[in-house]
Amino acid sequence: MAQEYWRWSEESWINPDLNDWKGACLTAGVDIGSTSTQAVVMADKKPLSYASIRTGSNSKDSAVNAMNRVLELTGLQREEIAFTVGTGYGRVNVPFADKTVTEITCHARGANFIYGPSVRTILDMGGQDCKAIHCDENGRVRSFMMNDKCAAGTGRGMEVIADLLGVPIEEIGARSFEADQIPKPITSQCVVFAKTEVGHLMREGWTKEQVLAAYCQAMADRVARLLERNGMELDFAITGGIAKNIGVVRRVEKLMGVTALQGSYDSQIAGALGGALMAYDLLEKRKRRGQRS
Amino acid sequence: MKPTIAIGNEYIESWKKAGKKVVGTVCCHIPEELIHAAGMLPIRIRGTECTDDRDGETWMTGYTCGFCRACLQNLIDGKYNFLDGIIVSDGCMFIQRLYDNWAVIGNTECKLNINIPRNHDKLAVNYFKDELQIVKETMEKLSGNEITEEKLNASIDLYNQTRALIREMFTLTKGNEPKITGTETLQWTIRAMSMPKEIYNEELRAFIDEAKQREPITNYGARLMMIGSAVDDPEYVRIFEEHGGLIVTDYNCYGTRYLWSDVTRQEGESAIESIARSYLEKLTCPRMTDLHDEMYEDMLGLAREFDVDGIVYVRLKNCCLWGGESVFFYDKFEKEGIPVLTLEKEEITTNAGQVGVRAEAFVEMIEGN
Repeated sequence: MAQEYWRWSEESWINPDLNDWKGACLTAGVDIGSTSTQAVVMADKKPLSYASIRTGSNSKDSAVNAMNRVLELTGLQREEIAFTVGTGYGRVNVPFADKTVTEITCHARGANFIYGPSVRTILDMGGQDCKAIHCDENGRVRSFMMNDKCAAGTGRGMEVIADLLGVPIEEIGARSFEADQIPKPITSQCVVFAKTEVGHLMREGWTKEQVLAAYCQAMADRVARLLERNGMELDFAITGGIAKNIGVVRRVEKLMGVTALQGSYDSQIAGALGGALMAYDLLEKRKRRGQRS
Repeated sequence: MKPTIAIGNEYIESWKKAGKKVVGTVCCHIPEELIHAAGMLPIRIRGTECTDDRDGETWMTGYTCGFCRACLQNLIDGKYNFLDGIIVSDGCMFIQRLYDNWAVIGNTECKLNINIPRNHDKLAVNYFKDELQIVKETMEKLSGNEITEEKLNASIDLYNQTRALIREMFTLTKGNEPKITGTETLQWTIRAMSMPKEIYNEELRAFIDEAKQREPITNYGARLMMIGSAVDDPEYVRIFEEHGGLIVTDYNCYGTRYLWSDVTRQEGESAIESIARSYLEKLTCPRMTDLHDEMYEDMLGLAREFDVDGIVYVRLKNCCLWGGESVFFYDKFEKEGIPVLTLEKEEITTNAGQVGVRAEAFVEMIEGN
């Protein structure tokens, strides 16, 4: 089989520092995005375990598979999880979700946890859209803007370019800085046109690194406009898969004149993590309502 | 809930069978009273029911607004073959282009294009009165009926009854116990522009009386007001209402703006003068250059009156009237503590899921997550 340069590493993780979680309130968030799916389980609002996998052709199966990985790692049964929030584009397809919440709300909440309460502006760069979100010190959304017109300028667009140039996706960011000269930024409006432009640049003799620099710059230009439109308020953080691509992150930082906060967890799990936190709050609300009635 | 009335519906069929004529308009600044007074049925042309506008795009190009392209497509597809006449205005740039194209390729018996001033001073009202005189004469010729002062006054009275009923219908979305949805109100205003007002007024009266007896709607998270370009598809409104919102009022030329403020009479005015003045005074969209501040005051007043939690600002792609208004929105509403969700829209909705995510997130934001 030909090498799949786009394929990013799926991940599973269990918190090595959390040993006394038995008896804790377990909540989960499952984020089915267009490109990746994450499941996060928290114990009393502390991250216990997560899995991040590729979203397959069946969203429901993706949710089940991601959650099964977490269950295997922790030895938990699904019934032990008290409340689950489904989020992301496929949120209605999480078969075991108790409630659905949009990814915009969950990303703000998750970013607040990962990057701390000083975060006010979040850029979520997902598989097929990007979002600029403003939130308060509690991770509550104050305003947001989304751009989901095309896969160009998103994770899926980056995957297409990785395959086209034969560069492993995890290397794209670093290699984009190896370019001494940079061609004009590639279109960020249409991934099909972007592919054509990449082919044209290669035929003109530009190196892969130079073309990658142009593509990363185009992606940064596109999201910077979204950030400008929604307003930049510090602190700033980036979530989603593209947050792992320093070729885009550094260029966004330069364009906006800011530095993105560094988090202690995988940027890709922000939505699911936010979902698990929302799940805890919703459960508490339900308990309070139960006590009143 | 009644489904949205079809373009070619049973009322139009009966009307035509009786040997009477139908005249279509596009912009709500064209006074239907003049068509009605000639004994003809005025209906409003819409883009609803269009699922593929490729001919509209071929004629008008992709640089025009999707609403006008869909209207042209519906005309080309023969959905408006029952029309005997069509009156278009320079309500906006692309409606004008719609007329230009239909004037060349269309088969409608009578095609009339009028100019409507963009301000409302005395000079403008006089000019508009002259334009309406042309409409009057054209309608008399098309129908074979003279439009007398008495007939025109009777039409004004009938239309004012419709306006009063529509305003009454919207009271049912007010307060803590709303009885009807925004999907329904848009269905009813569209119904008003698709059938004889005499029958419509009776139907709407019955609907209001029935709706008053309903249990209040409780399964919503935020009271929303939809403002912006022409939204003639209640299914678009339904997206918001299926994601936790309740559209309690609007500023939409197919919604409240169609028939809201009465045609009023002033001492010494003829009926046509009253119509000219009232239509230029009515607050509808940013086309009226000397009523811009008043329009925002009116929108804000409605938002307060209907206890709105958030504004959904919808702009059709390439809309020459509402496209550039966002610069004012944040200042006019957010300063008042009313959040705004801005959405770009195509006439043919193919992104219901994407709109739904935004709608739901907006409601979650208002609810405090």
